Amino acid sequence: MKQNSARLALLILTIGLGVLFLLNISIGSVSIPVKEVIKALFTHTGTNADILWQFRLPKAITCVLAGSALATGGLLMQTLFRNPMAGPDVLGLTSGSSLLVAILLMAGRYGSFVGILIQNPWSIAIAASFGGAMVFVIIIAIAKYVRDNTSLLIVGLMISAATSSIVSVLQFTSQADDLQTFMIWMLGSVGNTNWSELAVLTIIISIGIGISISLIKSLNGILLGESYALNLAINIKRARIMIVITTGMMVGVVTAFCGPIAFVGLAVPHLIRLVLPTSNHKTLLPAVMLGGAILLLMCDVIAQLPGRAQVLPLNAITSLIGAPVVIWMVIKAKRISV
Amino acid sequence: MSESTTIALQTINLEVGYKKNNQNQVLFEPLSLTLAQGELVCFMGSNGIGKTTLIKTLAGIQAPLKGTVTRHYSTAIVLTDKISGSLMTVRDLVTYGRYPHLNWWLKLNDEDHQIIENAIRKVHLESIADKQLSQLSDGQLQMVMIAKALAQDANILLLDEPTAHLDLNNRVEIMNLLRLLARETNKTILVATHELDLALQTADKIWLATQDKKIVTGIPEDLVLDGTFDTVFQLKGFDLKTGKISHTPYRKKLVQLDGSGPEYLWTKNALERSGYELDTNALTRISILSPDKIYWELSSNTINGRFKTLEDLLKAIGN
Repeated sequence: MKQNSARLALLILTIGLGVLFLLNISIGSVSIPVKEVIKALFTHTGTNADILWQFRLPKAITCVLAGSALATGGLLMQTLFRNPMAGPDVLGLTSGSSLLVAILLMAGRYGSFVGILIQNPWSIAIAASFGGAMVFVIIIAIAKYVRDNTSLLIVGLMISAATSSIVSVLQFTSQADDLQTFMIWMLGSVGNTNWSELAVLTIIISIGIGISISLIKSLNGILLGESYALNLAINIKRARIMIVITTGMMVGVVTAFCGPIAFVGLAVPHLIRLVLPTSNHKTLLPAVMLGGAILLLMCDVIAQLPGRAQVLPLNAITSLIGAPVVIWMVIKAKRISV
Repeated sequence: MSESTTIALQTINLEVGYKKNNQNQVLFEPLSLTLAQGELVCFMGSNGIGKTTLIKTLAGIQAPLKGTVTRHYSTAIVLTDKISGSLMTVRDLVTYGRYPHLNWWLKLNDEDHQIIENAIRKVHLESIADKQLSQLSDGQLQMVMIAKALAQDANILLLDEPTAHLDLNNRVEIMNLLRLLARETNKTILVATHELDLALQTADKIWLATQDKKIVTGIPEDLVLDGTFDTVFQLKGFDLKTGKISHTPYRKKLVQLDGSGPEYLWTKNALERSGYELDTNALTRISILSPDKIYWELSSNTINGRFKTLEDLLKAIGN
């Protein structure tokens, strides 16, 4: 990959992101022409401005943040496991986050202290991050014994199944309105974040992305395996811990506020490698961040069913796009690599 | 090698191995070995005896169980580990060699670029420098790994079976390259290999892992003549002292052969392989004649004739 073509690809992705962002905020149950959108953003007056500032902008910004975070998490996991099938949802990280969020939500009923805690977006974010990171640690421990792609995938599915069943038990014992909140949350949505939650999302994801960028050299080194990396003076152990914390944190916070969004983390790195064939994280990482944001903005545009009042669940759309990608990967497994 | 050679790497009472159930599994008796600068050493021994473990310990990527390894220079390695990242190009992989000298942003300066291009040139990879790794043959990939090690600018190179699974041509190319590197750039090179014949012809020194967990060192010829190789490898049908596979003259027939040069050697090879024994007083006589085009003349009690190929000659004396 020549440096110039990499720069060009990044430029095109950035422009694409800008275009989709504008498209995303102009489309919804009420369609606002792009010209009006720009006017409303600067004047802050009128119904259009209200719609934009209260609903569409937080939603679009959430899409950008969540998409980049999930896709980056997917890339970090694929590199760490050196396994193209790795991803935050396939290996159960999102389920781990869901479990902790569920526990926090349901437990809120029984104690006033916890009840105060769940009002705070930070505590949900921290709980979800912790849940994601815990599952990651379990997977790493198991990955020492399981080397091949398919087995790791199955282990991930099993962990997902186990955590999901605990969540089911919690649901079974919870009250009807809690249950409904939880079910809606499970469908995935980028439209429920308010500005204070958005602040938490922005801070945590910015830190996560900052750490990811600082790990570029280590990530490249991991591709050669532990022995070569050590010989190239790369501290693999530290990098591994950082990847676990960063990924758990980013996936956790997204899961906390948007629900368990499927397939973005797994699919985006592969889609990016299709258009930008490189293994160098210096190019791959920013491209994957942009790609994740673009994909989620696009999925959200589709989910809005432009011109109609209904909204489809976001997870349905990401799965519709993600599932064929996974099937295609399994069929072409020999040619797919990290 | 003169007495004043500088030591590049030294081990003192080194014990290598791994821990199993909290017990040390030591692979060799305590090792006190040295590698001198500019020396090409071939490290031989049967499979699973612990060559990889020792190489990793010498390189400092695995901790010794006991004893010390002193590296007087930086060390680069070539292992048999599979690498990921099949989308990277040859140049990308060679660039990894510069990593110890780069910061987190991987900014390459002019000198780095020059070292990378030099490494690519040294290993003759210019024509495939922009190819992706997935498009390379096993032999080419090994050469790229060697180029990566060269780009590290390390004075010690440790290679674990760089010629495994390669065809003869690639094996010879790699060993010749290592030979040249040791001579021209004064690098210290240790190669773990199974290629007995290649090692004997290229190495300055041999490290030979014996069955009783020792490593015998010496120059190849000494180890051949004192029979160390024979006891370690328990050679079956390969005569190390002549460097040939031994044949049984099962036809119990003596043949006299006149001639010289490579034609003589290959005719001898064909006859011995087919079960004949050479004897200067034999009644069946073969002369190699090459006025302008080579032919073989056979004369015996029963048959006489001229043959254009060895195949025809073998058929004729077989009857």
